[in-house]
Amino acid sequence: MAFPHRPDAPELPDFSMLKRLARDQLIYLLEQQHEVDKLYKVESKPAVSSSEQLCFLVRPRIKNMRYIANLVNADKLAGRTRKYKVIFSPQKFYACEMVLEEEGIYGDVSCDEWAFSLLPLDVDLLSMELPEFFRDYFLEGDQRWINTVAQALHLLSTLYGPFPNCYGIGRCAKMSYELWRKLEDEEDGETKGRRPEIGHIFLLDRDMDFVTALCSQVVYEGLVDDTFRIKCGSVDFGPEVTSSDKSLKVLLNAEDKVFNEIRNEHFSNVFGFLSQKARNLQAQYDRRRGMDIKQMKNFVSQELKGLKQEHRLLSLHIGACESIMKKKTKQDFQELIKTEHALLEGFNIRESTSYIEEHIDRQVSPIESLRLMCLLSITENGLIPKDYRSLKTQYLQSYGPEHLLTFSNLRRAGLLTEQAPGDTLTAVESKVSKLVTDKAAGKITDAFSSLAKRSNFRAISKKLNLIPRVDGEYDLKVPRDMAYVFSGAYVPLSCRIIEQVLERRSWQGLDEVVRLLNCSELAFTDMTKEDKASSESLRLILVVFLGGCTFSEISALRFLGREKGYRFIFLTTAVTNSARLMEAMSEVKA
Amino acid sequence: MGHRKYELYSMDWDLKEELRDCLVAAAPYGGPIALLRNPWRKEKAASVRPVLEIYSASGMPLASLLWKSGPVVSLGWSAEEELLCVQEDGVVLVYGLHGDFRRHFSMGNEVLQNRVLDARIFHTEFGSGVAILTGAHRFTLSANVGDLKLRRMPEVPGLQSAPSCWTTLCQDRVAHILLAVGPDLYLLDHAACSSVTPPGLAPGVSSFLQMAVSFTYRHLALFTDTGYIWMGTASLKEKLCEFNCNIRAPPKQMVWCSRPRSKERAVVVAWERRLMVVGDAPESIQFVLDEDSYLVPELDGVRIFSRSTHEFLHEVPVASEEIFKIASMAPGALLLEAQKEYEKESQKADEYLREIQELGQLTQAVQQCIEAAGHEHRPDMQKSLLRAASFGKCFLDRFPPDSFVRMCQDLRVLNAVRDYHIGIPLTYSQYKQLTIQVLLDRLVLRRLYPLAIQICEYLRLPEVQGVSRILAHWACYKVQQKDVSDEDVARAINQKLGDTPGVSYSDIAARAYGCGRTELAIKLLEYEPRSGEQVPLLLKMKRSKLALSKAIESGDTDLVFTVLLHLKNELNRGDFFMTLRNQPMALSLYRQFCKYQELETLKDLYNQDDNHQELGSFHIRASYAAEERIEGRVAALQTAADAFYKAKNEFAAKATEDQMRLLRLQRRLEDELGGRFLDLSLHDTVTTLILGGHNKRAEQLARDFRIPDKRLWWLKLTALADLEDWEELEKFSKSKKSPIGYLPFVEICMKQHNKYEAKKYTSRVGPEQKVKALLLVGDVAQAADVAIEHRNEAELSLVLSHCTGATDGATADKIQRARAQAQKK
Repeated sequence: MAFPHRPDAPELPDFSMLKRLARDQLIYLLEQQHEVDKLYKVESKPAVSSSEQLCFLVRPRIKNMRYIANLVNADKLAGRTRKYKVIFSPQKFYACEMVLEEEGIYGDVSCDEWAFSLLPLDVDLLSMELPEFFRDYFLEGDQRWINTVAQALHLLSTLYGPFPNCYGIGRCAKMSYELWRKLEDEEDGETKGRRPEIGHIFLLDRDMDFVTALCSQVVYEGLVDDTFRIKCGSVDFGPEVTSSDKSLKVLLNAEDKVFNEIRNEHFSNVFGFLSQKARNLQAQYDRRRGMDIKQMKNFVSQELKGLKQEHRLLSLHIGACESIMKKKTKQDFQELIKTEHALLEGFNIRESTSYIEEHIDRQVSPIESLRLMCLLSITENGLIPKDYRSLKTQYLQSYGPEHLLTFSNLRRAGLLTEQAPGDTLTAVESKVSKLVTDKAAGKITDAFSSLAKRSNFRAISKKLNLIPRVDGEYDLKVPRDMAYVFSGAYVPLSCRIIEQVLERRSWQGLDEVVRLLNCSELAFTDMTKEDKASSESLRLILVVFLGGCTFSEISALRFLGREKGYRFIFLTTAVTNSARLMEAMSEVKA
Repeated sequence: MGHRKYELYSMDWDLKEELRDCLVAAAPYGGPIALLRNPWRKEKAASVRPVLEIYSASGMPLASLLWKSGPVVSLGWSAEEELLCVQEDGVVLVYGLHGDFRRHFSMGNEVLQNRVLDARIFHTEFGSGVAILTGAHRFTLSANVGDLKLRRMPEVPGLQSAPSCWTTLCQDRVAHILLAVGPDLYLLDHAACSSVTPPGLAPGVSSFLQMAVSFTYRHLALFTDTGYIWMGTASLKEKLCEFNCNIRAPPKQMVWCSRPRSKERAVVVAWERRLMVVGDAPESIQFVLDEDSYLVPELDGVRIFSRSTHEFLHEVPVASEEIFKIASMAPGALLLEAQKEYEKESQKADEYLREIQELGQLTQAVQQCIEAAGHEHRPDMQKSLLRAASFGKCFLDRFPPDSFVRMCQDLRVLNAVRDYHIGIPLTYSQYKQLTIQVLLDRLVLRRLYPLAIQICEYLRLPEVQGVSRILAHWACYKVQQKDVSDEDVARAINQKLGDTPGVSYSDIAARAYGCGRTELAIKLLEYEPRSGEQVPLLLKMKRSKLALSKAIESGDTDLVFTVLLHLKNELNRGDFFMTLRNQPMALSLYRQFCKYQELETLKDLYNQDDNHQELGSFHIRASYAAEERIEGRVAALQTAADAFYKAKNEFAAKATEDQMRLLRLQRRLEDELGGRFLDLSLHDTVTTLILGGHNKRAEQLARDFRIPDKRLWWLKLTALADLEDWEELEKFSKSKKSPIGYLPFVEICMKQHNKYEAKKYTSRVGPEQKVKALLLVGDVAQAADVAIEHRNEAELSLVLSHCTGATDGATADKIQRARAQAQKK
């Protein structure tokens, strides 16, 4: 269990610096400048506070601006004067100031920026905590966060040295990369001559691989996220887990020794591991018997605290496991997983389709139904027209007509589409992809973008061997490839791409895959000639997920790292999962 | 008291006028000299226009222009080396070093009415100020002409005539005025006028003829009608010394002459033909003036210039005095001697050296020589001192070389700028105070670009602070040369600047635009590598469309948005939309904005694009977000459906029409049955009807909306189980053959924990699901039998996994046996 790293695995850089930097800046902004004494959450209800000054720490969104404007205007009506301060994080947008101006309160508030873009959630995981990135970019085509990404990369390279090898795929990856390079060029000298600490950087757009993100997660950390939702590296375990009447907020990271050993494990192993652990713990407690006073004193002062801590964690995770099992068996999890695997492998499509239909008819869950529909669409290169219509009709009848807009969103993002008939498509497609690269043809691009977004999953899967051929049972206790994160049924596409490129140190030989991903112009490699990088740093790889990554992908790459003697570091706009992706695309009645 | 005077330049400025007939202003730190023949002082009307002339400190002409404005009372230089000319009417005209007019400002109405009697330009830490004495004997001042705030000082009670002398003081960051009326001194701050008395002032003073404040505003000197000079702190709290020179004639000028951190206090007093240096020593030093001369106070001494010469008078620095004092035995002096002897190849060199070493003063000697070299004006003296230092250094093990190296560099720079052609006679102390950056600025101001660049390169200054900055200034000067064509200027600038880091082409372009050369500005912007930097200027030049594409190129959405709002105000709506149409990135950005701020505009945008799909979505959203009344909602949906038809999206159109029907129906249901139906999904509407016992209505609805059988069965099954209406459920199950099979019946009953009812349906479950059904109701034994009968391996293991411990032991054995049998076969 809990595979150790190879002894020559490189050390991870120290990311606590980022935290300190951000914290110090915020403390400065809050305390020195505004003397904050109480914090409220910005919600749609008015804040009740008698303070003389209000300070808002917000994302630069128009919605938030209107909230502030309403509050200030209400104060004005009531004849109240206070000071207002808006701190934008990670940056201020002109559009926000415009709204403040249009609402007539620009003169009443003062603005500040908190340039906080990288939150180290764990020793190897940095999150920008921008869940809105996904919808903003992949649905609305809003590129505002690309600049933020570039700034974050720039910060990393000033702190941890330049990145000698850069790879990437996807439009957003390319734009972010180019913008980042521009920033580096403008401020040259700072990183030049520094020894690189991290040898490779890989940027990947989420829309390169929707399939992986849409699958049910079965590694422990992913499953906890799917079931309880991990927020900012911590999770709220409810009474059913804590077996008391209180909820408990638990930090989940490498510090938690128990969690650290099971986080990357397939769920089927976790229970066994935990009970083994419990027995060991009991044995350690039992050693007390037959101790003399001196030994006992030693035991109490040195070991007991650690054991108690471990005991606490153990019971929490056992509770979590039980709760997960209960939930999953109720919904016939096995059946669901079976359908997913069938979709991934591409057999029994009819059966899967009727499974999905039943899922909708029974109103199991709007988000789950949607997820299965999308998974079907992407793996099959779009739904056949008859299914496309009937599934949508069923869905609208079950979950409400406003989802007509959800479907329009999904179509635009290429998540749920209709199969175009026949071969004529390839001709249109090649024309369109030519147009896509031509900036002036924006409007046509817009109209045809859903056409150009054919997923070609089946072909890619074949090319990259994503469905492992298994003879006999896949041993989940001793995984042999990254497919273990999906019970041995599927190697995550995103991780496979990364593996392949790192192996080749370029995109060479992957032309066909790149073409199938509709990224002929959007895959890049950039290597610096001078070789100052140590062999250790060359085995450190920063993977940047634009639009979010899942814990399953993280686990898969951690596994790959252990196999090959690499260490991966993850930078994501936010940690995501299938439900979050679907929610981002859903239209809900306000 | 050690003071010395040496010549800086012999002036060949070929003055037509006597200095005494001119208004004279010389800037500190070796700055330029401005002369304006003062015709207004004479009674004769000014028939000839006077000439304003500006010279470098070495007398090289920098500018000469005919004075066409009103009578000037006073001239002075600002800290930025701008010439301020105070006119009689209180208007201050500002000129550049090269006689270029910059701007003007007025000192206020009160000054205009009462005319200017006298004016002073003074320097504070904030910048340069102007103080004015009006004809009404009132003072007005501004402490910083860069940020003009006029301050009228309080009245001096009983003041009938002009004060005999006055000056500005600067204390605690506030400018004051000190004035003398007869035997009395008054201090004006902006609140009050207070009478002050210098401590220890000799008796018998009936009037003050001159007063002088030191360069740093720390000290004050007063010259009385008894020929007595009082010297003390500017706060008038302490007397430092006094001197009686026995000359009662009012001096022409009196200035302080002391160096920073020196304990010596000295004042230089000038009369027509006599110059006197007085301090706390009983004797004064006197010089005869052959010519009409003018004194310029400096940080560490006094410059004295006349028609023919320009000299510097200062207190001899300690290091120099130690070395050059006659028969000095100071280590530096000995080292200098030693080096001289060494050059003569005399053994005395060794004797001197040994003498210093025996006293252990060699380090000190070297330091002394280095320091003294800095204070020498003549390069040969500098050299011999530095040579001595270098010689001494050879006998020291660990003498850090940087002080020597830095002094060599500094002196090289100083000698270069002191050159006659450049004419900036800075001393070492002044140079250090001014800093190299400011010196470079001043060279740039004099358009001495090559020298400035040479200095930067020589001192190896970082490019951004040094060479690039100077090149940028050069370029800004270049764009003002109107006689050269745009192409040539742009090319010349690009050739010289290339992509030197730190040079901002957009700044240069802004300058070009400022001179009215828009085309040149655009050409220059092309060289700007950061497209983001091009945008603000392009907007200013009204090239908004170009700005938009540059902003998009920069990848900075914020910038794009800025341009968009500009465009929106600048263009009419149609053109604006057309522009957006060609820029998808800008378009999506603007849509985002509209979605929250300008919904109507969003609709127009879709309309003009004939984007019916999005229009449809827009109205759908409106149907539940914006509209409240049911009629309004239906109308919005109708518009949406029409749009969807136009978009050839029949599916969406039909779905929308269905929704219209549903809404109307839900409304009717609410009216007729009460309860809440609006906004439920079709499925939930039917469920609600069944739960409410309106089975007929439910069936009607299912037919009307063509709900598929499968769904209807699921729906009814769930609803009836929820109602625990087992009878009705059984009836329903028998109404016809279930399209979803009977396993769901078992499942749902079990969900309601009704095993009894569940068991009723197990028999009707099809064979392939039978095992599952039996397991659900907990009949493991029978499940085992069925599985064995089916000979299905998967089913067998499923049952086995349900066998728990003791109770199902027998069943488990049975299965194992069956398995074994199956394997045998």
